Formats: sequence, structure tokens, C-alpha cells
Amino acid sequence: MQLKHFWAIGLFALNGFLLAQNSHQSKEIEVDFLVNYYQQDGDHAAVTGGNGTEKLHDTAPMIIVNVPIGNNSLNVATGVDFYSSASSDNIDPIRSGASGSDARAYANIDYTINNAYGNGSYGFLLGGSAEYDYTSFSFGGKWATASADDNRELALSGRIFFDRAQLIYPIELRNGTDWLSDGNRRTYNVSASYSQVLSQRAQLSLMSDVVYQSGLLSTPFHRVYFTGESRPRVEKLPDSRIKIPVGARLNYYVNDWLISRLYYRFYWDDFGIQANTAEIELPVAISQSVSITPFYRYHKQSAADDYRPFGEHNPGDEFYTSDHDLSDFNSHKVGLGLRYYPVFGVADFGSLLMKRLDFRFSVYDRSDGLSAFSVGMGVSFIINNH
Amino acid sequence: MKRIKRTLVMITVGTILSSCAAVKPYQKAHLNQEDMKLSASKIQTYEHNFETYREGASGANGGKVGGGCGCN
Repeated sequence: MQLKHFWAIGLFALNGFLLAQNSHQSKEIEVDFLVNYYQQDGDHAAVTGGNGTEKLHDTAPMIIVNVPIGNNSLNVATGVDFYSSASSDNIDPIRSGASGSDARAYANIDYTINNAYGNGSYGFLLGGSAEYDYTSFSFGGKWATASADDNRELALSGRIFFDRAQLIYPIELRNGTDWLSDGNRRTYNVSASYSQVLSQRAQLSLMSDVVYQSGLLSTPFHRVYFTGESRPRVEKLPDSRIKIPVGARLNYYVNDWLISRLYYRFYWDDFGIQANTAEIELPVAISQSVSITPFYRYHKQSAADDYRPFGEHNPGDEFYTSDHDLSDFNSHKVGLGLRYYPVFGVADFGSLLMKRLDFRFSVYDRSDGLSAFSVGMGVSFIINNH
Repeated sequence: MKRIKRTLVMITVGTILSSCAAVKPYQKAHLNQEDMKLSASKIQTYEHNFETYREGASGANGGKVGGGCGCN
């Protein structure tokens, strides 16, 4: 059965579930339809050893549904990424251009149970994704508690991912050599966040993850070239990785037409990568129902210990990658968001209200020559059950 | 030098958190605005995704941390 049939069946079942809820619920069901187009180009594709086209484009529709169930809530997010990559053709250049296209479908379910006092909750997380050469299943849990005056909140969550990759090697390296022993990857993630109201105009949150990954952490179809050798090898990375990002967000209500949103993250991992990321967004209210949000993001990272540019690896290296995503670089992202949110909604269809429209455009530029742009749109609906 | 930086960050965070005012629910009109939410907007999910794929760093923003995709 084709992927689109699974998606259609899933949407039909979800619609049936929502209609059933309508007969019992007095609260609103929120539905968001989002779609995004992403395009990039560069000259350092890992498929060709860090030297080749990185042209890629991706169209990604997504639906997010939030259903209140008594004092609890069910949130379902599902979507598909339809992507086409010029470098994928270079895994096996003899195959047609269609080999560079694929689709990744995913779904995430979040069920939250709120306590009777309204200052705490816990919940369950379930997720899955599938594409031609990669599948994933995940589950987890979460817990949150807030102070009596709701000025402080602590939230914890944990999640385990069971991933499996098909070991597809570059065409010239499929000679029966067992380049990699296993296509399984496990990711264990624990997240914590603390939010604090600072004043009537400011609030702050601190966030951190601790991530442990094991198994296949390299990509089977990435080539690596060595000094003095014409024949490449398959990328090889350590079979475990610890990542620790720590972030902070500070929002400040400047006045009735301007808000300041600041974000900073420090990242460390035992691959040798350290990174600093900072972002500023400035939502400006043009009118009571329209706001525009210019934003800027700067990111700087150091290279992984096992990274070398094209052709610079030593044949005696134990681990090796020429994936520029793991190299040292800095990047700039600049863009603009637009939101339309009239008090009584954009359009009223009786029990269905179109509440809000969002548009967002960004341009991304990396110091190694990769450049990209992204344009997205979101429509929010409320299904009223009165 | 690293220890000095770490100490300064901890002092700054501690000072900010200890100087918080007790804000009552009826005083939270500004804080409850959509753009004052302490999380990224839903439409930002896409940008977090491509940043995860194209950079070695990820996490601490509610987005992907490495599992569930063939990304870094």
C-alpha cells in the first residue's frame, strides 16, 4: 500500500475521533494546518566526500490537532516531508534522477493529564517516522508542576528513540565489505525546563537536554577520501555520543506595539563540537490584528574531532567524516514573520472559526558556502462545540 | 578563565531569579500575549528542523535532539 494511502486512512480515523469528541466536549478543539518550502545549495555534499552539490528542496505539509478531553488533552501532530536531493543521485549515479526523491512521514502523540488543582500535570509521548531507508519509533513521559501563583513552573520529560537505518553504501563500495556492522541507533533524551515570571512585563525560561546516543551514528552512503588514496571509504564515527545543550529565553513586553524575544544556547558534545547560538525576534504590532516579526539568528560551532575536509583524512585514522554539518563554521539567519489575528477571527463558518494566519520567511547563510531559504504558512482553526 | 565565566553566569542567573516580583493573575495581561509565550511558535518548527539537519548542535529549544531522523 502506498504511503499516501496510510496518510489518508490516518486522517480519516482522526476525523472520526474528532467528530466523536464533539458530542462530549464543551471546550474548543484547535487545528493547525502548516506547510513549508525549503531550498538549499552548496558545494560540500557528504555523499561525495565533502565536495559536490548540496542542492535540495523540501515541501512539508503538517497538521496539529489539540483536543481537550475533560481536564486532559490529546495533541497529535502528523506530516510528510517530500524532498528531492541532487546529491542522493551520487550514491548511485547510474540510476535515474528520480532516485534523488523521497518522502518521510511522521506522527507524534502527546497525552497530558492535568491535576484537579490546575498546577501540575503528567503525560505520555508516542512517535514514529518512516522513509525509504530509515524508520523510527519513540515513547516517553513528561511531568510538570507550577507554583500556587503560577509564576514558576518546572517541567521534566524523557524519551527513547529506536531507530533503524538501511545500510545503503555508495555504488562503488558495495563489494561485499561489511563497512558497518549494524543499522540500529538508540537515542535517550532527558529534558528539563524552568520558567519564571520576573515582572508584569518580563518572563524567563531555562532549558536543557541531556542526550545519549548509541549504535549507528554515521551515515552509510557518505564517502570519505584519504591522502594518498584514490578509493574512498564509508564514513565511520564512534558508536556513542553525549550531547548537552543549555538554553535560555527572555521575553520582555516593551510597550503596546513592541515585544523583545531573546534566545541563547550553549552546546557541547563528546564528538568535540561546541557551539553558541543567539537569536532575537522583535514582534511589532502594526494594528490590533496584524503584527510583523523581524528576526536574526547567529550560530557558531567548532568542528568534530574526527572531521577533515575533502581528501585530508589520514589513512590510519580510526574514525573519519567529511560531513560539513560537523565542521567548524558560523551561520546567519535573517527573516520576517507576519501574523493576522483579528479579535473575532479571520473567517467564521458557524462551528468552525479560522482564528489566525501566519507567514514566515527566512534566509540562511553558512560560512562554508551553503545557503538556504525557507517560506512557511500556517492557518489556525477552532472547532467550537457549544 | 572558564571558571570565572561560569561563576559570572551563575551569579547573573541567581540575581535575576531572586529579584522576581510576585505577579498576580489580574496583572498578567502583557505576559499572556501570544508573542510573550516562552516557546517557539508552531511555524518555527520547520526552521528548527533544518537547523538540526544542517548543524552539529541541536536541542534546548523544544525541537529535535537527534533521534527520530537520520540527522546529527
